[in-house]
Amino acid sequence: MNVLTTYAAQSLAAVRTSFADRTNFALQVAGMAVNNGFWLVLWFLFFAGFRQVGGWRLGDVARMLGIIYTLFGLSTVFFGGYRDMAGAILRGEVDPLLTQPKPVLLRLLARESVPSAWGDLGTGVAILIFGARLDLGGAGLVIAAIAIGMTAWISTSVIFASLAFWFAGARSLSRDLMDFTLMVSTYPASIYSGWAKIVAFTVLPAGFVAMAPVGLVRNPSWPAAAFAIAGAAGYGALALMVFHLGLRRYRRGATPGS
Amino acid sequence: MRSTPPWITRTGFTLAAMAAAYRVGLAAALAAWPVLLGRAIFYGVCLMVLIAFWDKVGAQRLAGTLAVRLPPGGLGVYVGVTEWITLSVPAIQLRLEDDIRSGALEPHLLRPKPYLTQTIAGEAGGMSARLAMLAVAGLLLLTISGRPWPAGFGLAYVTVLGVIGATIGVLLYTLVGLTAFWLRRVLPALLIMQKLMFLLGGLFAPISFYPGWLHDIAAASPFAAHLAFAGQAVIAPSWAAFAGALGAQALWFCALCLAIALIWRAGLAKLMREG
Repeated sequence: MNVLTTYAAQSLAAVRTSFADRTNFALQVAGMAVNNGFWLVLWFLFFAGFRQVGGWRLGDVARMLGIIYTLFGLSTVFFGGYRDMAGAILRGEVDPLLTQPKPVLLRLLARESVPSAWGDLGTGVAILIFGARLDLGGAGLVIAAIAIGMTAWISTSVIFASLAFWFAGARSLSRDLMDFTLMVSTYPASIYSGWAKIVAFTVLPAGFVAMAPVGLVRNPSWPAAAFAIAGAAGYGALALMVFHLGLRRYRRGATPGS
Repeated sequence: MRSTPPWITRTGFTLAAMAAAYRVGLAAALAAWPVLLGRAIFYGVCLMVLIAFWDKVGAQRLAGTLAVRLPPGGLGVYVGVTEWITLSVPAIQLRLEDDIRSGALEPHLLRPKPYLTQTIAGEAGGMSARLAMLAVAGLLLLTISGRPWPAGFGLAYVTVLGVIGATIGVLLYTLVGLTAFWLRRVLPALLIMQKLMFLLGGLFAPISFYPGWLHDIAAASPFAAHLAFAGQAVIAPSWAAFAGALGAQALWFCALCLAIALIWRAGLAKLMREG
């Protein structure tokens, strides 16, 4: 089996495990869908009263949320191990993977699938189908934006989780950093300027998770596409580098808890 | 000589035990100061995003929209107050979920001190540390930002309504945690509760901006007692509004305590019956 087949087999096993308790699965999916629906209603109420914010209207925000929910849902269903990767590193769960021939990072990413993420995925796809008014070209751009955003989001999460190779308190820190990034991602890009914008494209790269991909859908252009792809690729490369640096440290036994 | 009725003695013991649990919770939260610091940074990030958002809305002041009704200094301080309360409330629902699901609850039931009141008191201790830390961070950010401070007794009203509002938040999350008697994971209940806080609590926008019917529903809900009243106190501070808010908070505090007691008894009965 090659690397991708191993990943697919493990990921599907994780998805099947998440289905095991059907009541719990259904409740989590429904809870997340209601949660996302509420968020959309809040935006609906906001735009009913304020009409626009920095040139963004309800349709723009709906499209943005559709893209974010979908990319977050796909990431967390099929690469759900990133959510508690820092915990897995600190608990020494990397040890058995080191003795196996397949890449450690993919094995860690594929080890878990979070049931509630199906709620995100369902809501995201529903918003894109019914609320985003996409033509064929627009749909292609949205798929590209989701792929770019997913790459940036998973890469960012891997970078945050890899802090566990160096710091014992990285579990809650990485969760917090992921939450910060998600929070910054779920507001219209037009509100950020100055330092907030710099933070959004560097430390908490919501800029590459959401703003640049969504910007590509709003105003398609080759420079916008190049910027979004380069950002996601850059964070992907950085994630691989940081993870493997950390893994080298882990092999030496220098990681806290290893 | 008349002896003290047993229920008074029992209540006294329970309150003393709760006070001890509160002190332990407070000390534990202070000992974990890096976590408190992290929360303060999170508070700063939240404010950065939300204030940037409302400043953008306020800067446009589109005619015929609610933007013209925004206060002159914007909603920065309002957002600061509602986030202060929200981020101070501890995740008591996770502890209840863990204890109920793992069976860690059962040994507590054999002990003389009531598990639930002890847990709530301990979490309230942690909440006090957060309230203090985030209040300092908030006031520091307000000073640095150069935005106007709440007028008159606004700050005093906010302090009182905010602390009681946070306590009501603990009770609301306790209700979420108690759903673990029936649900495997409390996440769905939590998500719904959080979004009700956003909508009816005015975490997203002041409830005074809502259409009349929605405003009335929000104002009559426990979520307004949790968040909105304290936030409104910085927008339009007045003694009458403060007194009314205090009355509503007292009412919701009692109602939620009663609801918690009833659900706890029902949950325990289920646990005894079905394990």
